Amino acid sequence: MAGYHQNLDQQQAPAFFARGPSPLARLAFFSALSLALMATDSRLQYLGSVREHLMVVLQPLQLIANAPSVLYDSTSEYFSTHHRLLNENQFLRKQALVQAISLQKMKALTLENTNLRELLAANQSLEEFSQLGEILHVGRDPFTKKIIVNRGSNQQVVDGAAVVDAKGVIGQVTRTYPASSEVTLITDKSLTIPIQIERNGLRAIAFGHGRDNTLDLPFLPANVDIKRGDKLITSGIDGVYPKGLAVATVTDIQTSADSPFARIVCIPTGGIENHKQVLIVSISQPDNPASTNAATQQPGNADIATKAAAPTKPDAAQSPASKVPENKTPAVPVPATENLNQHKKPANPTPAVVTEPSTTHKPHAQD
Amino acid sequence: MHKTKLQTIYFSLLVAFICVLLPWSGTALKLRPDFVLLVIIFWILRAPNKCNIGTAWFIGLWVDLATGGVFGQYALAYTVTTFVAVIYQRRLVLFSNTQQLVYVLLLLIISQLTLLTVKIFSGNDVLGWSYFLPSITGVILWQAAVALGLNTSRPSRSK
Repeated sequence: MAGYHQNLDQQQAPAFFARGPSPLARLAFFSALSLALMATDSRLQYLGSVREHLMVVLQPLQLIANAPSVLYDSTSEYFSTHHRLLNENQFLRKQALVQAISLQKMKALTLENTNLRELLAANQSLEEFSQLGEILHVGRDPFTKKIIVNRGSNQQVVDGAAVVDAKGVIGQVTRTYPASSEVTLITDKSLTIPIQIERNGLRAIAFGHGRDNTLDLPFLPANVDIKRGDKLITSGIDGVYPKGLAVATVTDIQTSADSPFARIVCIPTGGIENHKQVLIVSISQPDNPASTNAATQQPGNADIATKAAAPTKPDAAQSPASKVPENKTPAVPVPATENLNQHKKPANPTPAVVTEPSTTHKPHAQD
Repeated sequence: MHKTKLQTIYFSLLVAFICVLLPWSGTALKLRPDFVLLVIIFWILRAPNKCNIGTAWFIGLWVDLATGGVFGQYALAYTVTTFVAVIYQRRLVLFSNTQQLVYVLLLLIISQLTLLTVKIFSGNDVLGWSYFLPSITGVILWQAAVALGLNTSRPSRSK
Protein backbone atom coordinates (compact mmCIF):
# COMPACT_ATOMS: atom_id res chain seq x y z
CA MET A 1 0.00 0.00 0.00
CA ALA A 2 2.81 2.34 0.95
CA GLY A 3 4.60 1.37 -2.20
CA TYR A 4 1.53 2.16 -4.21
CA HIS A 5 1.36 5.64 -2.74
CA GLN A 6 5.00 6.22 -3.43
CA ASN A 7 4.48 5.08 -6.94
CA LEU A 8 1.59 7.47 -7.35
CA ASP A 9 3.62 10.40 -6.07
CA GLN A 10 6.46 9.78 -8.39
CA GLN A 11 4.59 9.08 -11.52
CA GLN A 12 4.00 11.76 -14.09
CA ALA A 13 0.55 13.09 -14.64
CA PRO A 14 -1.31 10.70 -16.92
CA ALA A 15 -1.66 11.66 -20.53
CA PHE A 16 -5.28 12.64 -19.97
CA PHE A 17 -4.19 15.52 -17.77
CA ALA A 18 -1.11 16.49 -19.71
CA ARG A 19 -1.56 20.03 -20.96
CA GLY A 20 1.85 21.24 -21.94
CA PRO A 21 3.27 24.25 -20.13
CA SER A 22 1.39 25.28 -17.03
CA PRO A 23 -1.25 27.97 -17.39
CA LEU A 24 0.82 30.29 -15.24
CA ALA A 25 3.82 29.92 -17.53
CA ARG A 26 1.64 30.61 -20.54
CA LEU A 27 0.09 33.60 -18.83
CA ALA A 28 3.51 35.04 -18.02
CA PHE A 29 4.81 34.43 -21.53
CA PHE A 30 1.88 35.85 -23.44
CA SER A 31 1.39 38.77 -21.07
CA ALA A 32 5.01 39.74 -21.47
CA LEU A 33 4.61 39.44 -25.22
CA SER A 34 1.52 41.66 -25.17
CA LEU A 35 3.20 44.27 -23.00
CA ALA A 36 6.24 44.28 -25.26
CA LEU A 37 3.98 44.72 -28.29
CA MET A 38 2.13 47.55 -26.64
CA ALA A 39 5.35 49.32 -25.78
CA THR A 40 6.71 48.83 -29.29
CA ASP A 41 3.55 50.01 -30.94
CA SER A 42 2.86 53.04 -28.82
CA ARG A 43 6.37 54.32 -28.19
CA LEU A 44 8.57 53.18 -31.05
CA GLN A 45 6.16 53.23 -34.01
CA TYR A 46 7.78 50.23 -35.66
CA LEU A 47 4.54 48.45 -36.33
CA GLY A 48 2.90 50.89 -38.71
CA SER A 49 3.79 48.95 -41.84
CA VAL A 50 2.99 45.62 -40.18
CA ARG A 51 -0.45 46.97 -39.38
CA GLU A 52 -0.93 48.12 -42.95
CA HIS A 53 -0.05 44.70 -44.35
CA LEU A 54 -2.30 42.90 -41.91
CA MET A 55 -5.14 45.24 -42.77
CA VAL A 56 -4.93 43.98 -46.33
CA VAL A 57 -5.54 40.48 -44.99
CA LEU A 58 -8.46 41.82 -43.01
CA GLN A 59 -10.02 43.48 -46.03
CA PRO A 60 -11.96 40.47 -47.39
CA LEU A 61 -13.33 39.70 -43.94
CA GLN A 62 -14.40 43.30 -43.65
CA LEU A 63 -16.18 43.03 -46.98
CA ILE A 64 -18.06 39.97 -45.77
CA ALA A 65 -19.00 41.75 -42.57
CA ASN A 66 -20.21 44.80 -44.43
CA ALA A 67 -22.19 42.78 -46.95
CA PRO A 68 -25.44 42.54 -44.95
CA SER A 69 -25.69 46.27 -44.35
CA VAL A 70 -24.73 47.05 -47.92
CA LEU A 71 -27.36 44.63 -49.13
CA TYR A 72 -29.93 46.16 -46.81
CA ASP A 73 -29.09 49.66 -48.00
CA SER A 74 -29.30 48.76 -51.64
CA THR A 75 -32.57 46.88 -51.31
CA SER A 76 -34.20 49.58 -49.22
CA GLU A 77 -33.09 52.08 -51.81
CA TYR A 78 -34.56 49.92 -54.51
CA PHE A 79 -37.90 49.81 -52.77
CA SER A 80 -37.98 53.48 -51.88
CA THR A 81 -41.18 55.10 -52.99
CA HIS A 82 -41.65 56.93 -56.22
CA HIS A 83 -42.98 59.93 -54.38
CA ARG A 84 -39.95 60.25 -52.15
CA LEU A 85 -37.61 60.01 -55.08
CA LEU A 86 -39.49 62.73 -56.93
CA ASN A 87 -39.33 65.01 -53.91
CA GLU A 88 -35.66 64.37 -53.45
CA ASN A 89 -35.02 64.98 -57.10
CA GLN A 90 -36.79 68.29 -57.00
CA PHE A 91 -34.91 69.34 -53.90
CA LEU A 92 -31.58 68.39 -55.36
CA ARG A 93 -32.30 70.22 -58.59
CA LYS A 94 -33.09 73.38 -56.66
CA GLN A 95 -29.98 72.99 -54.62
CA ALA A 96 -27.83 72.43 -57.67
CA LEU A 97 -29.17 75.62 -59.18
CA VAL A 98 -28.42 77.65 -56.08
CA GLN A 99 -24.97 76.16 -55.86
CA ALA A 100 -24.22 76.67 -59.50
CA ILE A 101 -24.79 80.37 -59.03
CA SER A 102 -22.51 80.63 -56.06
CA LEU A 103 -19.94 78.48 -57.80
CA GLN A 104 -19.88 80.88 -60.70
CA LYS A 105 -19.34 83.73 -58.32
CA MET A 106 -16.61 81.67 -56.72
CA LYS A 107 -14.79 81.26 -60.01
CA ALA A 108 -14.81 84.95 -60.62
CA LEU A 109 -13.64 85.62 -57.11
CA THR A 110 -10.86 83.07 -57.30
CA LEU A 111 -9.66 84.61 -60.52
CA GLU A 112 -9.78 88.05 -59.03
CA ASN A 113 -8.05 86.87 -55.92
CA THR A 114 -5.21 85.23 -57.78
CA ASN A 115 -4.75 88.27 -59.94
CA LEU A 116 -4.59 90.51 -56.92
CA ARG A 117 -2.13 88.16 -55.33
CA GLU A 118 0.02 88.24 -58.40
CA LEU A 119 -0.04 91.96 -58.28
CA LEU A 120 1.07 91.88 -54.70
CA ALA A 121 3.59 89.14 -55.50
CA ALA A 122 2.25 87.40 -52.46
CA ASN A 123 2.68 83.74 -51.84
CA GLN A 124 0.15 81.63 -53.60
CA SER A 125 -2.32 80.15 -51.19
CA LEU A 126 -2.39 76.43 -50.95
CA GLU A 127 -4.51 74.52 -53.39
CA GLU A 128 -6.87 71.98 -51.90
CA PHE A 129 -7.64 68.53 -53.10
CA SER A 130 -10.81 66.83 -52.06
CA GLN A 131 -12.45 63.49 -52.66
CA LEU A 132 -15.60 61.83 -51.52
CA GLY A 133 -15.34 58.99 -49.08
CA GLU A 134 -17.95 56.74 -47.61
CA ILE A 135 -18.03 55.75 -43.97
CA LEU A 136 -17.45 52.00 -43.73
CA HIS A 137 -18.04 51.71 -40.05
CA VAL A 138 -17.63 53.46 -36.76
CA GLY A 139 -14.45 52.75 -34.83
CA ARG A 140 -14.81 49.72 -32.60
CA ASP A 141 -12.84 51.05 -29.69
CA PRO A 142 -15.28 52.58 -27.19
CA PHE A 143 -12.51 54.75 -25.79
CA THR A 144 -11.85 56.69 -28.95
CA LYS A 145 -14.01 58.53 -31.44
CA LYS A 146 -13.06 57.25 -34.84
CA ILE A 147 -14.62 56.30 -38.11
CA ILE A 148 -13.25 54.25 -40.96
CA VAL A 149 -13.78 55.54 -44.50
CA ASN A 150 -13.34 53.70 -47.75
CA ARG A 151 -10.51 55.79 -49.21
CA GLY A 152 -6.94 54.93 -48.45
CA SER A 153 -3.41 55.52 -49.50
CA ASN A 154 -4.25 53.94 -52.86
CA GLN A 155 -6.51 56.92 -53.45
CA GLN A 156 -3.89 59.45 -52.37
CA VAL A 157 -5.37 60.01 -48.95
CA VAL A 158 -2.58 61.20 -46.69
CA ASP A 159 -2.22 61.28 -42.94
CA GLY A 160 -3.41 64.56 -41.59
CA ALA A 161 -6.01 65.30 -44.25
CA ALA A 162 -9.08 67.09 -42.98
CA VAL A 163 -12.45 65.38 -43.20
CA VAL A 164 -15.62 67.38 -43.60
CA ASP A 165 -19.24 66.65 -44.26
CA ALA A 166 -22.01 68.79 -45.62
CA LYS A 167 -22.35 70.74 -42.39
CA GLY A 168 -18.83 71.17 -41.19
CA VAL A 169 -15.56 69.67 -40.11
CA ILE A 170 -15.81 66.24 -38.58
CA GLY A 171 -12.22 65.16 -38.11
CA GLN A 172 -8.82 64.34 -39.44
CA VAL A 173 -7.26 61.31 -41.11
CA THR A 174 -4.91 59.78 -38.58
CA ARG A 175 -4.01 56.47 -40.14
CA THR A 176 -4.10 55.36 -43.73
CA TYR A 177 -4.38 51.82 -44.97
CA PRO A 178 -4.24 50.81 -48.64
CA ALA A 179 -7.99 50.79 -49.17
CA SER A 180 -9.34 52.57 -46.14
CA SER A 181 -8.33 55.16 -43.66
CA GLU A 182 -9.04 55.92 -40.06
CA VAL A 183 -10.52 59.29 -39.23
CA THR A 184 -10.27 60.64 -35.71
CA LEU A 185 -13.31 62.77 -35.01
CA ILE A 186 -12.97 66.24 -33.58
CA THR A 187 -14.77 65.04 -30.49
CA ASP A 188 -11.93 62.63 -29.72
CA LYS A 189 -9.88 63.55 -26.72
CA SER A 190 -6.61 63.49 -28.61
CA LEU A 191 -7.66 65.82 -31.40
CA THR A 192 -7.43 69.58 -31.33
CA ILE A 193 -8.54 72.02 -33.97
CA PRO A 194 -7.62 75.69 -34.34
CA ILE A 195 -10.78 77.74 -34.59
CA GLN A 196 -11.96 81.26 -34.85
CA ILE A 197 -15.15 82.80 -33.52
CA GLU A 198 -17.12 83.77 -36.58
CA ARG A 199 -18.59 86.87 -34.90
CA ASN A 200 -15.41 88.59 -33.75
CA GLY A 201 -12.54 86.68 -35.26
CA LEU A 202 -11.16 85.58 -31.91
CA ARG A 203 -8.76 82.67 -32.34
CA ALA A 204 -8.63 79.68 -30.04
CA ILE A 205 -8.04 75.98 -30.05
CA ALA A 206 -10.87 73.54 -29.55
CA PHE A 207 -10.23 70.23 -27.83
CA GLY A 208 -12.37 67.15 -28.19
CA HIS A 209 -14.13 66.26 -24.99
CA GLY A 210 -13.87 62.54 -25.51
CA ARG A 211 -16.79 61.21 -23.58
CA ASP A 212 -19.80 62.92 -25.05
CA ASN A 213 -19.98 64.49 -28.46
CA THR A 214 -18.83 67.94 -27.45
CA LEU A 215 -15.82 70.18 -27.82
CA ASP A 216 -14.11 72.23 -25.13
CA LEU A 217 -12.52 75.63 -25.46
CA PRO A 218 -10.14 75.61 -22.53
CA PHE A 219 -7.64 78.24 -21.41
CA LEU A 220 -9.77 81.20 -22.35
CA PRO A 221 -10.13 83.92 -19.69
CA ALA A 222 -13.40 84.22 -17.84
CA ASN A 223 -14.13 87.56 -19.45
CA VAL A 224 -13.62 86.32 -22.99
CA ASP A 225 -16.01 87.66 -25.61
CA ILE A 226 -17.85 84.48 -26.45
CA LYS A 227 -21.60 84.14 -26.26
CA ARG A 228 -23.91 81.23 -26.34
CA GLY A 229 -24.77 80.46 -29.95
CA ASP A 230 -21.51 81.73 -31.37
CA LYS A 231 -20.30 79.83 -34.39
CA LEU A 232 -16.80 78.43 -34.48
CA ILE A 233 -15.08 78.18 -37.84
CA THR A 234 -11.69 76.85 -38.76
CA SER A 235 -9.02 79.51 -38.66
CA GLY A 236 -6.79 77.75 -41.15
CA ILE A 237 -3.58 78.64 -39.37
CA ASP A 238 -2.69 75.01 -38.93
CA GLY A 239 -2.37 74.30 -42.63
CA VAL A 240 -4.58 71.25 -42.16
CA TYR A 241 -8.13 72.48 -42.26
CA PRO A 242 -9.20 74.85 -45.01
CA LYS A 243 -10.14 78.21 -43.63
CA GLY A 244 -13.72 79.09 -42.81
CA LEU A 245 -15.36 75.70 -42.40
CA ALA A 246 -17.99 75.44 -39.70
CA VAL A 247 -16.81 73.47 -36.70
CA ALA A 248 -19.14 73.89 -33.77
CA THR A 249 -21.64 76.06 -31.97
CA VAL A 250 -21.15 77.31 -28.43
CA THR A 251 -23.86 75.87 -26.25
CA ASP A 252 -22.77 76.61 -22.73
CA ILE A 253 -20.43 79.00 -20.94
CA GLN A 254 -19.71 78.71 -17.27
CA THR A 255 -17.50 80.95 -15.21
CA SER A 256 -16.70 80.28 -11.62
CA ALA A 257 -15.02 82.48 -9.04
CA ASP A 258 -12.30 79.97 -8.27
CA SER A 259 -11.05 79.62 -11.82
CA PRO A 260 -9.53 82.28 -14.04
CA PHE A 261 -10.75 80.36 -17.09
CA ALA A 262 -14.18 80.02 -18.56
CA ARG A 263 -15.62 76.61 -19.18
CA ILE A 264 -16.98 76.66 -22.71
CA VAL A 265 -18.82 73.73 -24.22
CA CYS A 266 -19.55 73.50 -27.94
CA ILE A 267 -21.47 71.05 -30.06
CA PRO A 268 -20.03 70.12 -33.47
CA THR A 269 -22.07 71.24 -36.44
CA GLY A 270 -20.98 68.36 -38.62
CA GLY A 271 -23.36 65.45 -38.39
CA ILE A 272 -20.91 62.82 -37.33
CA GLU A 273 -23.50 60.17 -36.69
CA ASN A 274 -25.90 61.05 -39.47
CA HIS A 275 -24.11 60.85 -42.77
CA LYS A 276 -22.65 58.15 -44.85
CA GLN A 277 -20.55 60.34 -47.11
CA VAL A 278 -17.68 62.56 -46.10
CA LEU A 279 -15.28 64.75 -48.01
CA ILE A 280 -11.57 64.25 -47.46
CA VAL A 281 -9.73 67.49 -48.02
CA SER A 282 -5.98 67.67 -48.09
CA ILE A 283 -4.18 70.89 -48.54
CA SER A 284 -1.51 69.83 -50.94
CA GLN A 285 2.07 70.45 -50.05
CA PRO A 286 4.35 71.80 -52.79
CA ASP A 287 5.95 68.39 -53.31
CA ASN A 288 2.65 66.55 -53.38
CA PRO A 289 1.67 65.33 -56.86
CA ALA A 290 -1.97 65.44 -55.80
CA SER A 291 -1.79 69.20 -55.92
CA THR A 292 -2.78 69.38 -59.53
CA ASN A 293 -5.72 67.07 -59.17
CA ALA A 294 -8.22 69.60 -57.96
CA ALA A 295 -7.15 71.93 -60.66
CA THR A 296 -7.69 69.42 -63.43
CA GLN A 297 -11.36 69.23 -62.71
CA GLN A 298 -12.05 72.58 -64.17
CA PRO A 299 -9.85 73.71 -66.99
CA GLY A 300 -10.31 77.31 -66.03
CA ASN A 301 -9.00 76.68 -62.59
CA ALA A 302 -6.07 74.71 -63.85
CA ASP A 303 -4.96 77.75 -65.75
CA ILE A 304 -5.26 79.83 -62.69
CA ALA A 305 -3.37 77.37 -60.60
CA THR A 306 -0.44 77.03 -62.90
CA LYS A 307 -0.28 80.64 -63.85
CA ALA A 308 -0.57 81.89 -60.33
CA ALA A 309 1.95 79.47 -58.95
CA ALA A 310 4.55 80.72 -61.36
CA PRO A 311 6.01 83.64 -59.47
CA THR A 312 6.82 81.69 -56.35
CA LYS A 313 7.17 78.09 -57.44
CA PRO A 314 8.58 77.66 -60.91
CA ASP A 315 8.48 73.87 -60.65
CA ALA A 316 4.80 73.89 -59.86
CA ALA A 317 4.12 75.99 -62.92
CA GLN A 318 5.20 73.26 -65.28
CA SER A 319 3.17 70.57 -63.65
CA PRO A 320 0.77 69.61 -66.40
CA ALA A 321 -2.59 68.09 -65.78
CA SER A 322 -1.41 64.89 -67.40
CA LYS A 323 0.79 64.21 -64.40
CA VAL A 324 -2.24 63.06 -62.56
CA PRO A 325 -2.86 59.34 -62.92
CA GLU A 326 -5.84 58.72 -65.13
CA ASN A 327 -7.48 56.20 -62.95
CA LYS A 328 -7.38 58.39 -59.93
CA THR A 329 -10.69 59.15 -58.31
CA PRO A 330 -11.64 62.59 -59.43
CA ALA A 331 -12.13 65.34 -56.98
CA VAL A 332 -15.80 65.42 -56.34
CA PRO A 333 -17.80 68.57 -56.79
CA VAL A 334 -19.06 69.69 -53.50
CA PRO A 335 -22.39 68.37 -52.29
CA ALA A 336 -25.00 70.10 -50.20
CA THR A 337 -24.72 73.27 -48.22
CA GLU A 338 -22.85 76.35 -48.97
CA ASN A 339 -19.95 76.26 -46.58
CA LEU A 340 -18.59 73.38 -48.53
CA ASN A 341 -18.53 75.52 -51.58
CA GLN A 342 -15.43 76.93 -50.10
CA HIS A 343 -13.49 73.77 -50.58
CA LYS A 344 -11.63 75.35 -53.42
CA LYS A 345 -11.25 78.53 -51.54
CA PRO A 346 -7.67 79.53 -50.90
CA ALA A 347 -6.51 78.49 -47.51
CA ASN A 348 -4.56 80.69 -45.26
CA PRO A 349 -2.10 82.73 -47.24
CA THR A 350 0.41 83.34 -44.47
CA PRO A 351 3.02 80.63 -44.71
CA ALA A 352 4.81 81.87 -41.62
CA VAL A 353 2.28 80.25 -39.38
CA VAL A 354 1.58 77.21 -41.50
CA THR A 355 2.68 74.23 -39.54
CA GLU A 356 3.05 70.58 -40.27
CA PRO A 357 -0.31 68.87 -40.79
CA SER A 358 0.42 66.54 -37.96
CA THR A 359 0.52 69.22 -35.34
CA THR A 360 -3.10 69.05 -34.45
CA HIS A 361 -2.85 65.40 -33.95
CA LYS A 362 -0.90 64.06 -31.05
CA PRO A 363 0.31 60.62 -32.02
CA HIS A 364 1.24 59.58 -28.50
CA ALA A 365 -2.29 60.05 -27.32
CA GLN A 366 -3.97 58.04 -30.01
CA ASP A 367 -5.41 55.49 -27.72
CA MET B 1 -18.14 11.65 -27.00
CA HIS B 2 -17.17 13.23 -30.23
CA LYS B 3 -13.85 14.78 -30.93
CA THR B 4 -13.69 18.47 -31.50
CA LYS B 5 -12.00 19.23 -34.74
CA LEU B 6 -9.47 22.00 -34.88
CA GLN B 7 -11.19 23.35 -37.97
CA THR B 8 -14.43 23.74 -36.05
CA ILE B 9 -12.66 25.85 -33.46
CA TYR B 10 -11.01 28.10 -35.99
CA PHE B 11 -14.14 28.40 -38.06
CA SER B 12 -16.20 29.46 -35.05
CA LEU B 13 -13.52 31.96 -34.08
CA LEU B 14 -13.60 33.33 -37.59
CA VAL B 15 -17.36 33.72 -37.47
CA ALA B 16 -17.09 35.46 -34.10
CA PHE B 17 -14.43 37.74 -35.52
CA ILE B 18 -16.65 38.66 -38.46
CA CYS B 19 -19.37 39.48 -35.93
CA VAL B 20 -16.92 41.95 -34.38
CA LEU B 21 -16.24 43.41 -37.82
CA LEU B 22 -19.92 44.08 -38.49
CA PRO B 23 -20.59 47.80 -38.83
CA TRP B 24 -21.81 48.44 -35.31
CA SER B 25 -22.65 51.96 -34.35
CA GLY B 26 -24.37 54.01 -31.68
CA THR B 27 -26.19 52.07 -28.97
CA ALA B 28 -25.53 48.76 -30.66
CA LEU B 29 -21.80 49.44 -30.36
CA LYS B 30 -22.19 50.11 -26.66
CA LEU B 31 -24.10 46.89 -26.19
CA ARG B 32 -22.01 44.73 -28.49
CA PRO B 33 -20.96 41.60 -26.64
CA ASP B 34 -17.43 40.33 -26.98
CA PHE B 35 -18.21 37.52 -29.42
CA VAL B 36 -14.64 36.39 -29.77
CA LEU B 37 -14.05 36.05 -26.05
CA LEU B 38 -17.30 34.13 -25.60
CA VAL B 39 -16.28 31.65 -28.26
CA ILE B 40 -12.84 31.30 -26.70
CA ILE B 41 -14.35 30.65 -23.26
CA PHE B 42 -16.65 28.06 -24.78
CA TRP B 43 -13.79 26.22 -26.43
CA ILE B 44 -11.69 26.39 -23.30
CA LEU B 45 -14.50 24.56 -21.52
CA ARG B 46 -14.96 22.05 -24.28
CA ALA B 47 -11.50 21.47 -25.65
CA PRO B 48 -8.86 22.93 -23.36
CA ASN B 49 -6.05 21.15 -25.15
CA LYS B 50 -6.96 22.62 -28.52
CA CYS B 51 -7.90 26.15 -27.56
CA ASN B 52 -5.73 27.64 -24.90
CA ILE B 53 -4.10 30.86 -23.79
CA GLY B 54 -2.01 31.03 -26.94
CA THR B 55 -5.07 30.86 -29.17
CA ALA B 56 -6.69 33.60 -27.16
CA TRP B 57 -3.60 35.77 -27.41
CA PHE B 58 -3.38 35.28 -31.14
CA ILE B 59 -6.99 36.12 -31.85
CA GLY B 60 -6.66 39.03 -29.43
CA LEU B 61 -4.06 40.50 -31.75
CA TRP B 62 -6.53 40.39 -34.62
CA VAL B 63 -9.16 42.08 -32.51
CA ASP B 64 -6.56 44.73 -31.72
CA LEU B 65 -6.04 45.19 -35.40
CA ALA B 66 -9.76 45.47 -36.03
CA THR B 67 -10.29 48.02 -33.28
CA GLY B 68 -7.34 50.04 -34.51
CA GLY B 69 -5.92 50.41 -31.03
CA VAL B 70 -2.40 49.79 -29.83
CA PHE B 71 -1.30 46.22 -30.54
CA GLY B 72 -1.50 43.91 -27.57
CA GLN B 73 -4.36 45.39 -25.57
CA TYR B 74 -7.01 42.83 -26.38
CA ALA B 75 -4.31 40.20 -26.56
CA LEU B 76 -3.40 40.92 -22.95
CA ALA B 77 -7.02 41.07 -21.83
CA TYR B 78 -7.80 37.73 -23.47
CA THR B 79 -4.64 36.16 -22.07
CA VAL B 80 -5.52 37.13 -18.51
CA THR B 81 -9.14 36.05 -18.91
CA THR B 82 -8.35 32.70 -20.45
CA PHE B 83 -5.80 32.09 -17.69
CA VAL B 84 -8.56 32.42 -15.11
CA ALA B 85 -10.81 30.26 -17.25
CA VAL B 86 -8.17 27.58 -17.70
CA ILE B 87 -7.23 27.16 -14.05
CA TYR B 88 -10.86 26.61 -13.13
CA GLN B 89 -11.76 24.70 -16.26
CA ARG B 90 -12.29 21.31 -14.60
CA ARG B 91 -14.60 22.79 -11.99
CA LEU B 92 -16.31 24.97 -14.53
CA VAL B 93 -17.60 22.11 -16.63
CA LEU B 94 -19.22 20.55 -13.55
CA PHE B 95 -21.01 23.74 -12.61
CA SER B 96 -24.74 24.05 -13.03
CA ASN B 97 -25.97 26.36 -15.72
CA THR B 98 -26.55 29.27 -13.33
CA GLN B 99 -23.16 28.92 -11.69
CA GLN B 100 -21.55 28.79 -15.08
CA LEU B 101 -23.38 31.93 -16.10
CA VAL B 102 -22.06 33.83 -13.10
CA TYR B 103 -18.59 32.58 -13.85
CA VAL B 104 -18.78 33.63 -17.49
CA LEU B 105 -19.93 37.07 -16.37
CA LEU B 106 -16.94 37.23 -14.07
CA LEU B 107 -14.61 36.28 -16.91
CA LEU B 108 -16.06 38.90 -19.22
CA ILE B 109 -15.69 41.54 -16.53
CA ILE B 110 -12.10 40.48 -15.90
CA SER B 111 -11.40 40.97 -19.58
CA GLN B 112 -12.97 44.41 -19.59
CA LEU B 113 -11.18 45.43 -16.41
CA THR B 114 -7.84 44.42 -17.87
CA LEU B 115 -8.58 46.43 -20.96
CA LEU B 116 -9.71 49.38 -18.87
CA THR B 117 -6.51 49.29 -16.85
CA VAL B 118 -4.38 49.31 -19.97
CA LYS B 119 -6.44 52.12 -21.47
CA ILE B 120 -6.26 54.25 -18.35
CA PHE B 121 -2.50 53.80 -18.25
CA SER B 122 -2.32 55.11 -21.80
CA GLY B 123 -4.26 58.22 -20.86
CA ASN B 124 -7.88 57.46 -21.64
CA ASP B 125 -10.88 58.59 -19.68
CA VAL B 126 -13.00 56.28 -17.60
CA LEU B 127 -16.17 55.70 -19.56
CA GLY B 128 -18.64 55.20 -16.74
CA TRP B 129 -20.71 52.16 -15.89
CA SER B 130 -22.10 51.74 -19.38
CA TYR B 131 -18.65 50.44 -20.29
CA PHE B 132 -19.54 47.15 -18.63
CA LEU B 133 -22.78 46.63 -20.56
CA PRO B 134 -21.10 44.31 -23.10
CA SER B 135 -20.45 41.87 -20.26
CA ILE B 136 -24.15 41.74 -19.48
CA THR B 137 -25.13 41.29 -23.11
CA GLY B 138 -22.38 38.69 -23.39
CA VAL B 139 -23.92 36.63 -20.62
CA ILE B 140 -27.33 36.99 -22.20
CA LEU B 141 -25.89 35.74 -25.46
CA TRP B 142 -24.28 32.82 -23.64
CA GLN B 143 -27.58 31.93 -22.01
CA ALA B 144 -29.33 32.21 -25.36
CA ALA B 145 -26.80 29.84 -26.90
CA VAL B 146 -27.27 27.38 -24.03
CA ALA B 147 -31.04 27.63 -24.38
CA LEU B 148 -30.66 26.87 -28.07
CA GLY B 149 -28.89 23.66 -27.20
CA LEU B 150 -25.22 24.49 -26.96
CA ASN B 151 -23.63 22.02 -24.60
CA THR B 152 -21.27 23.82 -22.25
CA SER B 153 -21.20 21.36 -19.42
CA ARG B 154 -19.28 18.44 -20.84
CA PRO B 155 -15.83 18.66 -22.29
CA SER B 156 -15.05 16.50 -25.24
CA ARG B 157 -12.49 13.91 -24.36
CA SER B 158 -10.33 14.40 -27.36
CA LYS B 159 -6.86 13.01 -27.80
